[in-house]
Amino acid sequence: MPMNAPFPAVRIRDEFPVFRHHPDLIYLDNAATTHKPLAVLDAERDFYETANANVHRAAHRLGSAATDAFEGARHRIATHLNAAHADEVIFTRGTTEAINLAANSWGRANLRPGDVILASVLEHHANIVPWQLVAQQTGAVVRPIPLGADGNIDPAAFGALLTAEVRLVALTHCSNATGVLPPLQPMIAAAKAAGARVLIDGAQGIAHAGVDVRALGADFYAFSGHKVYGPTGVGVLWARRELLAHMPPWQGGGEMIDRVSFDGTTFAEPPFRFEAGTPPIAQAVGLAAALDWLDRHDRPALLAHETALRDRFEAGLQSLDGIRILGAGTARGPITALAFDRVHPYDVAQFLDGYGVAVRVGQHCAGPLHQWLGLNGSLRASFAAYNTGADVDAALAALATTLDMLA
Amino acid sequence: MNTYPSPFDHPFGTVLDRDALAERLTAAAGWEAKNRLLVQLARELPALPDAYRDDEHRVAGCESTAWLVIDRQAGRLLLAADSDSRIVKGLLALLLTAYHGRTPAELAGFDFEQWLVTLGLQRFLTASRGNGLRAMARMIHAAIAEFSH
Repeated sequence: MPMNAPFPAVRIRDEFPVFRHHPDLIYLDNAATTHKPLAVLDAERDFYETANANVHRAAHRLGSAATDAFEGARHRIATHLNAAHADEVIFTRGTTEAINLAANSWGRANLRPGDVILASVLEHHANIVPWQLVAQQTGAVVRPIPLGADGNIDPAAFGALLTAEVRLVALTHCSNATGVLPPLQPMIAAAKAAGARVLIDGAQGIAHAGVDVRALGADFYAFSGHKVYGPTGVGVLWARRELLAHMPPWQGGGEMIDRVSFDGTTFAEPPFRFEAGTPPIAQAVGLAAALDWLDRHDRPALLAHETALRDRFEAGLQSLDGIRILGAGTARGPITALAFDRVHPYDVAQFLDGYGVAVRVGQHCAGPLHQWLGLNGSLRASFAAYNTGADVDAALAALATTLDMLA
Repeated sequence: MNTYPSPFDHPFGTVLDRDALAERLTAAAGWEAKNRLLVQLARELPALPDAYRDDEHRVAGCESTAWLVIDRQAGRLLLAADSDSRIVKGLLALLLTAYHGRTPAELAGFDFEQWLVTLGLQRFLTASRGNGLRAMARMIHAAIAEFSH
């Protein structure tokens, strides 16, 4: 594919069967979940048709095929992330379970009374509450990383928080509510220099930015399959091998053990130590297919396409009164979050849904961020590969009509 | 002596009864007209006095906030409600129309959800949207059951 060619969104759209069933759907709720291309649906179906068995234990040919498919998916995902080793990829149910794994395993083994966990005000509840729970159990405390007036983190203010007691920094790759992109590289470097571990919530980052975990320099990277064109029910916790080697199991069951007796049990090596029970096998295969599908496209062109849609939407909003774009003055991913002066976001979304425009309203599981914004809720439009300029124009027309009706 | 304004001083369930609302909703053909009517009903429902907009009367929802006041006088149910969303407030006006000022005997066998379906508002009862409205209808029915004992 030639560089600088525009991203072929209209053709890409044909690869998503959901739009055959809903041809008029203007789907701008991609930050909640993305639709699935045929390549992903085919990979899952093909797994069930040709290789379905449980993994790592069946002494028969389908068992081997299933294990090969599952471990092959782990390798492909490791390659996509530029991980040093495939065993650094742990399959989970999603981002939330990945963060809970890190909090329960690493956190309970390493946090002591008086230790500090820093979590930014941008975080989704999934990157706050697991740390609060482990803090209650260990005597550690969770402190917020505040935002500057632009809605982003000021690296200098962050640096001032990095005392010797800080053991972990929990940070989003991209705010799910406003799309704000915190300055990851300087923050990770500063946290590492201060001796803290860093967990990046990549739920919103993975579909837009190419993720290179070695270049990023964090200790943990968590993401979900379903927000990156893959299946629901599968996600990944990536962590560096030397860290995983010293982390205890957090859920007990099959697969994660080495030898079990009532005198004591010894545990398997990573990643299996952290994958108790039958994993989401077909979903892992589907997730690898989703990342392969992404990697077949010109990623910079894709991000430029999504960003151009966001900018086109925001330019169109300028002609409408009573709307404020959240985080407008700072770096953002392809997400537009709106606050309204005179109408309630829920009412706007009710009309937009009638016109076939899907957006999300509410606090987006980011309560602290909305408290900081002084808002009860906001309206979020989020853009993906299959969205087009026509989607944006239709959404703007629907929004203008809606605001007239509610005026 | 109560110096607060009465929260029950509104037309829904008294001046405006179920038949009057059903007529207006049936005349509103299509989702757009029905949504507009809900917004209009919200305008006709006076704001709940601040004294009642507290945690005790708050019904939590993810996307909007509502307040519901339930009382009883001379064997009749008294209801007041408000929301920060106009569509939700319009739906609350329907809730008040159905229940406010009624006796438990008058409400025996009344099914609020079924009434919304006949008004063409079933989309507000789907799982992702209906929790708040359904929860409030259940709270009212629990209060009715309590009154009846």
